[in-house]
Amino acid sequence: MAETKKIAIVVSEGTFDKAMMSMMIANTAASMGTEVHVFHTFFGLGLLKKGSRPKLPGMFRLFTGTFIKKMKKIGLEDYQGQLKLAAELGVNIYACSTTMELMGIKKEDMVDGVKVLGAAGFLDLAMDSESTLFIG
Amino acid sequence: MQKDETLDAKGLMCPMPIVKLSKKIKEMQIGKVLELISDDVGSKEDVPAWCKRTGNQLLEQKEEGGAFYYYIKKVQ
Repeated sequence: MAETKKIAIVVSEGTFDKAMMSMMIANTAASMGTEVHVFHTFFGLGLLKKGSRPKLPGMFRLFTGTFIKKMKKIGLEDYQGQLKLAAELGVNIYACSTTMELMGIKKEDMVDGVKVLGAAGFLDLAMDSESTLFIG
Repeated sequence: MQKDETLDAKGLMCPMPIVKLSKKIKEMQIGKVLELISDDVGSKEDVPAWCKRTGNQLLEQKEEGGAFYYYIKKVQ
């Protein structure tokens, strides 16, 4: 086996496009045998609330449903499906502790398996990673 | 090309062929050969990259009738 690589991803926005992109990249990386760490901060945190259904940004929000239908036709799950797949593939999902406080989001409000982390904890993971992606 | 199993991923777009490929290979025994069929043009780069990163061997890739065929030997 090639040496295990690590990747760190920061998600700071809560729109459908950012949400999907982050999880699709995370799930692909995990499928390639990579250890994946995804840190959700600011508006990215809302995505982790149980049953969240992010919308496309601005006026495009109206087309979110059409978009999801099109994605399903080519085998892509919606955001909740992507999160489930991520859990199955062993992707590590983190919630920013400060954002939780600012937005009043409790650990039990979020999907199962989310770990709470501060910036230093995330940076520690990022510094050990080959690459860090910022999605925001 | 000798094959032990086939994964038909036609109709699926990136990254699903890779996600399914990864799951399928995990179920197989070392030394077995998987035939992966995809009509996602992105798979032409994705599948060799996946093989390189996971240490599995891409024995052959070809294009036939608008689909891409990959023969992957499980090494790891």
